[in-house]
Amino acid sequence: MVMGLALSIITMSMVVIIPKLSQILIDDVIIGGQKSKLAPILLVMCGVQLLRTVLRYLMVICLENASQFLVMRIRKHIFTTIINQELKFYDRNRTGDIITRVTGDIEYVRHTCSWISYMFSDSISLLIATIVFLTTIHIGLTLIMLAVTPLIAIISYFYIKRIKSIYRQLRERLSNLNTTAQENIAGNRVVKAFTREDYEIDRFDKCSKEYRAANLSASYKWQMFSPIVDLISQSLTVIMVLAGGMFVMNGSLTYGSLAAFSGLTWALANPMKNLGIILNDLQRFFTSADKVIELFYSKPIIADRHDCNDKADRIKGKITFDNVSFKYNKEPVLKNVSFTITPGETIAIMGSTGSGKTTLVNLIARMYDVTEGRILVDDVDVRMWKLSKLRSSIGLATQDVFLFSDTVDGNISYGNPNLSEKDIEKFAKGAAADSFINKMEDGYNTIIGERGVGLSGGQRQRIALARALAVSPPILVLDDTTSAVDMETEQYIQNQLTNLDFECTKIIIAQRISSVKSADRIFVLNNGSIEIGTHETLMRKSGYYREICELQNLPNLPPIPDENSTEEGGAK
Amino acid sequence: MARNKFDIDESLDTPFDFSHLKRSLVYVNRYKTRMIFAFLLSILASLVSLCGPQLIKKSIDEAMPNGNMTQLLQLSGLLGGTIIISLLFNAIRGFIMVGVGQDIVYDIRSDLFRHLQELPFTYYDTRPQGKILVRVVQYVNAVSDVLSNGIVNIIIELLNIVFISIFMFKTDARLALIILAGLPVLAIIIFILKPAQRRAWQRVSNKSSNLSAYTCENIEGVEITEIFDRQDENIKIYDQLNNLLNKAWMKAVYISNLISVSVDNISQWVLAIMYMAGIAWFSPSASIGIIIAMGTYASRFWQPITSLANLYNQLITAISYLERIFQTMDEPIEISDAKDAYNLPTISGEVEFKNVSFEYEAGVRVLNDVSFKIKAGQSVALVGPTGAGKSTIVNLISRFYNITEGEVLIDGHSINGVTIKSLRSQMGIMLQDSFIFSGTIEDNIRYGRLDATKDEIITASKRVQADGFISQMEDGYNTQVNERGGRLSQGQKQLISFARTLLSDPRILVLDEATSSIDARTEQLLQMGINELLKGRTSFIVAHRLSTIKSCDIIIFIDGGKIVESGTHDELMALKGRYFELCTTQDE
Repeated sequence: MVMGLALSIITMSMVVIIPKLSQILIDDVIIGGQKSKLAPILLVMCGVQLLRTVLRYLMVICLENASQFLVMRIRKHIFTTIINQELKFYDRNRTGDIITRVTGDIEYVRHTCSWISYMFSDSISLLIATIVFLTTIHIGLTLIMLAVTPLIAIISYFYIKRIKSIYRQLRERLSNLNTTAQENIAGNRVVKAFTREDYEIDRFDKCSKEYRAANLSASYKWQMFSPIVDLISQSLTVIMVLAGGMFVMNGSLTYGSLAAFSGLTWALANPMKNLGIILNDLQRFFTSADKVIELFYSKPIIADRHDCNDKADRIKGKITFDNVSFKYNKEPVLKNVSFTITPGETIAIMGSTGSGKTTLVNLIARMYDVTEGRILVDDVDVRMWKLSKLRSSIGLATQDVFLFSDTVDGNISYGNPNLSEKDIEKFAKGAAADSFINKMEDGYNTIIGERGVGLSGGQRQRIALARALAVSPPILVLDDTTSAVDMETEQYIQNQLTNLDFECTKIIIAQRISSVKSADRIFVLNNGSIEIGTHETLMRKSGYYREICELQNLPNLPPIPDENSTEEGGAK
Repeated sequence: MARNKFDIDESLDTPFDFSHLKRSLVYVNRYKTRMIFAFLLSILASLVSLCGPQLIKKSIDEAMPNGNMTQLLQLSGLLGGTIIISLLFNAIRGFIMVGVGQDIVYDIRSDLFRHLQELPFTYYDTRPQGKILVRVVQYVNAVSDVLSNGIVNIIIELLNIVFISIFMFKTDARLALIILAGLPVLAIIIFILKPAQRRAWQRVSNKSSNLSAYTCENIEGVEITEIFDRQDENIKIYDQLNNLLNKAWMKAVYISNLISVSVDNISQWVLAIMYMAGIAWFSPSASIGIIIAMGTYASRFWQPITSLANLYNQLITAISYLERIFQTMDEPIEISDAKDAYNLPTISGEVEFKNVSFEYEAGVRVLNDVSFKIKAGQSVALVGPTGAGKSTIVNLISRFYNITEGEVLIDGHSINGVTIKSLRSQMGIMLQDSFIFSGTIEDNIRYGRLDATKDEIITASKRVQADGFISQMEDGYNTQVNERGGRLSQGQKQLISFARTLLSDPRILVLDEATSSIDARTEQLLQMGINELLKGRTSFIVAHRLSTIKSCDIIIFIDGGKIVESGTHDELMALKGRYFELCTTQDE
C-alpha cells in the first residue's frame, strides 16, 4: 500500500517532466535548430515514458494487491463471523440480507479500496506537484486559483448530507432484491406447485423497480452535484485568464509563465473534480462499510468462556436438566424441566407439534442458551464447555434435512472429514443408505444438490442419519429422522442403532409408537412440562401417550387401571 | 444432466466473440432515441468547449498586450459562458444516460427472472442456489454502465479519432501516417492479449460465482455446520476459494493493465519517430509550425485511444458476466405448453396413468410401465419403500417432469396437451419441504390463493389445526416469520403449508409426506377437519403412517418403480402380500 502510494508520487512527478522535455525539444531543436540534441532528447522522452508506465503499472498492481489482500481478509473474517453466529442471529436476519452483506457490501468495500485508493493518491500527488511547481512561478496567481477550493468543500458538505440517506435506501433495496430472488430460487418448488410464477414476477418486478428508482435518485443527485464541482474546477480557467491577464498587464507575470499556468490548469482542475467523485464513492462506501463493520464486530452471545472446559477425553454422555426454562422471545417453550439421562441410555421424546422437542435437543447442543436453570453434560454446565468440544460430542440428525451441494460421501463425512471410504460405507449401511447410494449413477461420488433435492425425503433422512453416525458421538440425537422412512427400513435402522460400535447416549424424537416403545425411558412433552415413563407405564395411564397408542391401533392395549394406582418411572 | 457443486466451474459452450455484446444490443436498441439524443448533446458540449482555447488565445494575443481590461472581462465572461453551456449539455446527457443504463439493466433482470420461473426443477436441482442468485443480482448490476455510457463513449471516442485523423492528414499526410502506424502495433498487442485477458476474466466470474455459492450454502446450512462443529474446516475451504478468486482477479488485473502501458508507450514512440521524420524531411524554417501542430494532434489522437483501451477492458469484463446471463437465458425450458395447448376445463378429478415410464437421468428408470385409473373423488395412498417412486408418481401428475413414455390423463385430457397453468392451478400439491417465505404467517397461507380474505385464512387454519398455535403467538397471524422459519417447528411449518394448500381449493390434492412431522394426535384432528373438505376431491397421499393409509379408498403398493399390489386395505390384508407384511411390522 505504502509502496503503491510512493510509486504514485514518483509517476506523477514524471508527468510533469515529459511536457518539460517537449518544451526543450521545441525551443532548442526545432526552433533553435540544434539537431544534435534531437536523438538524445527523444530517447530520454521515450525512456522516461517507459519508466513512468512501468512504475505506474507496478503502482496499480501494488494497490490492487493491497486492496485485494485486505478484502480477502475482511471476507474471511466475515465468513468466520457468520458461520459462528448463534441461531438467534439467523432467526432475526433474512438470508438475502446476510448474502447482500457478504457479497454486495464487501464488493463495494473492495472497489473503494482499490479504485479510490489510486484515484485518490493520483489526484493528491498531482495536485501537490502542480501547486509546488506553480508557486515557484507566481504565488499570487496560485493562491487566487486555489481560493475556489473551499467552495468545493462547502458544496460537498451539503451534498454528502443529502446523499447519505439515499445510499442507505439504495442498499436496503438491493438487499430486498437479493432476498426476493433468493427466496424465489430456494422456494422454486412451492412457486411451481401453486403456479405463482406471475405473482413472483410481479413481486420481483416491484423490487427491481424500487431498486432502479433508488439508483436513479442517487444518480440524479450525483448528476446535480458533479456539474457544480466541474463548474468550480473549470472556472479556474476563467480565473487564470482574468487574474493572470491582470498580472500580465501590471507586469508581474510574463507570457511564458502565463503559458505554464495555462498548460497546467487541468492539473489543478482534475484533482478537484476527482475529489468530488471520491467523496461520492466514499459515502456509498460508508453505508456498505457500516453493514460490514457491524458484522465484523458482531460477537455471538453463545461463545466460549475464557475458562471453558476442554478436556481431551471423550464425553461420557450424561445429561442433566436442572429446572430448565426456556422462552423463545416471550413465548415460553419449556417450564422448569428437570431430568437426568445416564450414559448409554436410550431416551425417546414424544409430544404434540410445537411442544418443544427440537428446542430441548437444541438446548443440549447450546444452539440457544436457557432462560433459567442449567443443563449439565457430564456434570459440567454446557455454558462452561468449550463449544467445539460440546458440539462435536453430539451427533444430530436434524428434522429439516439440509445437505450440501457436494458428493454423497462429502455429505456423510461432513462432521468428520478424515473418514475413510470404508468407514463412510459402514455408517451408510448403519443408516440403511448404502443400498440406494450404490444404485446412484456415481455411487458415493454422486453430487447431490443443496437440500438434497433429487433425493426422496426418506433418502435424505438416511444420509443425514449416516452423517450423524459418522462422528461416532457420545450423544446421538435423532430428531424425527425416520419420519419419511418406510417401516421396514425403520425397523432395520433401529436394530443397527442398538448395535453401534461406539458408546453413546441416544435421544430419539419420533411420532410413531413403534419407534419409541423400545426406549429405556420415554419423555412426553406437553405444554412446556415433561412426563417421564416407559412404554409399559405410560400406556397404562390416560394421557397423551396412551392416546397415541390408541390412535396408532396398537394391539393388546391394557386397560387403564384405577386412578389411584402408583406412579412410576419419573416425575414432572 | 451434469450436476454442479460449489467448487466446480461451470463450463461454457459458446466460444468467445462479441456475439454476446451484439445480443445485448437488443436491449440497448430499445433506448436508441434517448441514446442518440444524449450522443448529440455530448457532441454539442465538446463543440462548445472547443471555443475555450480560442478565447484564451484571443485574450493572450489581443487583450493582454493592449492592456484592454474591458475586452479581457468580456472574453473571460464568454469563456465562463462556454463552460456553463457545455457542462449543462453534459449534465443533461448524464441524466438521460443514467436512466437508460438503469432501464437496460432492469430489462435484462426482468427477462432473466422471467426465464428462471419457467425453468424446470432439474435446473434448480443440479446447481447451488448461490450461483443462480449472483447472476440475477450482481452480474446484471455489473453490466449497466458498459451497456449505456460505455456504448455512447465508444462512439464519441471513435468520432474523435476520425476528426483528428482528418486534421492530421490535412496538415501533413506523411507525418499523419507515422502517427497512425502505432495503431496496428496496438491492435496486434490487443490481439495477442485478448485470449488470455478473456480467459482471466472468465476465471474471475467463475471463481466469484463459486465463492458466492459456497457462502450462500453456508448461510443456509449454518445450523448443521455449527452442530457438527465444522466451522474450521469450512473456513479452510472458504479460504481456498477466496484465494483462487484473488489469484484470478490479480491475473486479470496484470493483463488488463498491460494494455494501457502499451498505449502510453506506443504513443510516445510514435511521437518520437514523428519528430525525427519531421526534422529530417523538412527544412528547419518550414517545419516549425507543422511539427508543433502535429505534436499536439498526436497527443490528442492518442487520448481517445487510451479511453477506448479502458472501455475495451470494461467490455471484456462485462462480456464475462453477459455470457453467464445469456447462458441462463438460453437454458432450455423443458416443460412448456405445447403449441396447440388448451386450457384444461374444470375437472372432476379422474386420473389415469397409461403405461407410464419415467427416468430422471437417461438410462435410470424410476418408473416402469405404471398403469392405474383413479375415479374422481377417490383417495389414493401410495405406499412402498423409500425411493420406490411414490413422489415421482405425484410429481408427474402435476407435470413437474415430462414423462419418458406413456401418458397421464386427467378427466381424459392428456396433461401434455393442456396448459401447465390450467393444470397446476386445479391441483393442490403439498411437498415434502414446507417452504416458508419471509413475511407474516398470514401472507404465507395466502400464497395458496392470493385473493383470500382473512376469515378464509383463519377457517383454513382451523381446519388443519394450525389456528391454535398461530393465535397463541404474540402477533398471531401477523407474526413475522423468515424463510428459515426459525421460530416455527417443522410440524408447525407443515401445518401452515397445509393451510396454504387447502386455501387454493384444489380439485386434486397431493400430499407428499405432508404430515410426517406432525404428531399423531394433531394429525388425527387434522384428518377429521379435512375429511369433510376432501369429499368429492381426488387425493393422492404419500405416507408411512398406517393410520393415514388405512382410511384411503385405494392403496397402491410400489416397489422398484412398479405397482406390486393395489386395492383397499381389507383386500390387501387378505392378500397377505407386501402390504400385509408392512402392516404387521408396525403393529408388532
